[in-house]
Amino acid sequence: MIGHLRKTLSRILALLAVLAAVPALAGDPPSADELVKIRAGNAACLACHSEAGLSKPPKEGMDLKALRKYLVHADTYAASDHGQMACSECHGDGYDAHPHAAKAREGLSECQDCHARKAMRIERQFDKSVHAENLSETFTCVTCHDAHTMALASKLRDPHKIVAQDNKICLDCHDSDLAFARIAPEKKKRPPIDDIHSWLPNTRLHWKAVRCIECHTPTEDKLSLSHEIQNKDKAEKKCATCHSANTSLNARLYRHLATEEQHKYGFINSVILGSSYVVGATRNPTLDFGLIALFGATVVGVLGHGLVRIITMRLRRSKKND
Amino acid sequence: MTKRVFMLPLWIRLWHWSNALAIIVLAVTGISLHFSDPALPLVEFSLAARIHNVAGVILVGLYAVFVIGNIVTGNWWQYVPKPPGIIQRCLRQMQYYGSGIFKGEPEPFPPTPETNFNALQAVTYWSIMYLVLPAVIVSGLIFLYPQLAPDTLFGLDGLLPVALVHYLGAAVIILFVVSHIYLGTMGPKVTSLFKMMFTGWYEH
Repeated sequence: MIGHLRKTLSRILALLAVLAAVPALAGDPPSADELVKIRAGNAACLACHSEAGLSKPPKEGMDLKALRKYLVHADTYAASDHGQMACSECHGDGYDAHPHAAKAREGLSECQDCHARKAMRIERQFDKSVHAENLSETFTCVTCHDAHTMALASKLRDPHKIVAQDNKICLDCHDSDLAFARIAPEKKKRPPIDDIHSWLPNTRLHWKAVRCIECHTPTEDKLSLSHEIQNKDKAEKKCATCHSANTSLNARLYRHLATEEQHKYGFINSVILGSSYVVGATRNPTLDFGLIALFGATVVGVLGHGLVRIITMRLRRSKKND
Repeated sequence: MTKRVFMLPLWIRLWHWSNALAIIVLAVTGISLHFSDPALPLVEFSLAARIHNVAGVILVGLYAVFVIGNIVTGNWWQYVPKPPGIIQRCLRQMQYYGSGIFKGEPEPFPPTPETNFNALQAVTYWSIMYLVLPAVIVSGLIFLYPQLAPDTLFGLDGLLPVALVHYLGAAVIILFVVSHIYLGTMGPKVTSLFKMMFTGWYEH
């Protein structure tokens, strides 16, 4: 009996150790010395895989047409989520020497190799998305998420930067016939993006201020943002979802800033007000209350005045009659 | 025997009622937008936004008619409170509204074709039409083209001051509308002034 308990306990402990190690694996930044080594190693790759490498190839006889498709911008990469990782972490066997091995791509690390738990959660959401519905075979994480450029919202912080990064992903395909045709099923035509959004006032300004996914993912979930990208039939069309005091923007674009809400100058959702004035959401309850009270007082005032006029007129009439 | 005096030309009456309609539509849709709440929609947000935009542009046109019409016909002079004794005449008017009317006293400054407005009316109408309404119109136009607003101001979105001017100005206009309609009952008969606004004739 005790032996059995001990076994179970040791299993639980082992499981806990594995669970604890997972975030440590993904999260621990390299030391300064390690980073210098990583950057030096990456520089060897970037000698070819950069604009500079493309314009002055370090070797003769390179396939520049192919190289053009695989360029990485050193600063953008360094600022991205994976920016402190060595290229070789994902680009393993077969990428060491040039020309790269013919089957090198097959050995490329998959996102879920590191992001296992996240990938499981996301897959369930993705399976319900419009992308899974139409492109289940070809659509993967990297169709949208370029591991060399993506930065988490919490890292970017500035909502304008988050919006620019995330909307570019959608618009790169959905605002270009060429790019759309490369991925979309054969007979699928790209819906003209301005036309289908013509109901949305100040359309292009909305796209600079909020992300496509603000409406194109289920808004019922107020706690997290889903990977269930929805098409126009399912997407949110109620303006008041964002344009109201209890705006869903707090759980979405501004989630990483929501804890900094300070009711600056007495405005609710003032954390949004830092970058956007959102009619119906960023308001000042004190001012609203004051103006409603003033309106009420005016109405009561004129009604009261009218009532006194009627009473005094009747009194004067009855006096005259006496 | 009631006397009739012709007071208001057709263009003013047409302008007045179109303007009144635009203001009411803008007030109802504006309130729906500002106090937007999914549980309690007065007018649904996107519909309200659309109507508000159209009515706003119409109001700009009507304001142009008002300004140009006033210049061409010389009617602008009516809005200028004329000294001497503006303050005394305003006080006298207030005293009438505050007590005289309850005692059955006659209107101290009844309208005439030469002077349509008493001093209090002239001051109020002038302020509303040449200060508050232009502020609401200009801020509204910036709202229509938000890219015109500064990006940020004091660490907050640059549209905030524009929104505040628009909101406060609109609130003043709504308060004015309530009092204006009520004061419309202060003619010789409760209906006299409303009738005049339709027919142009002042009966007393």
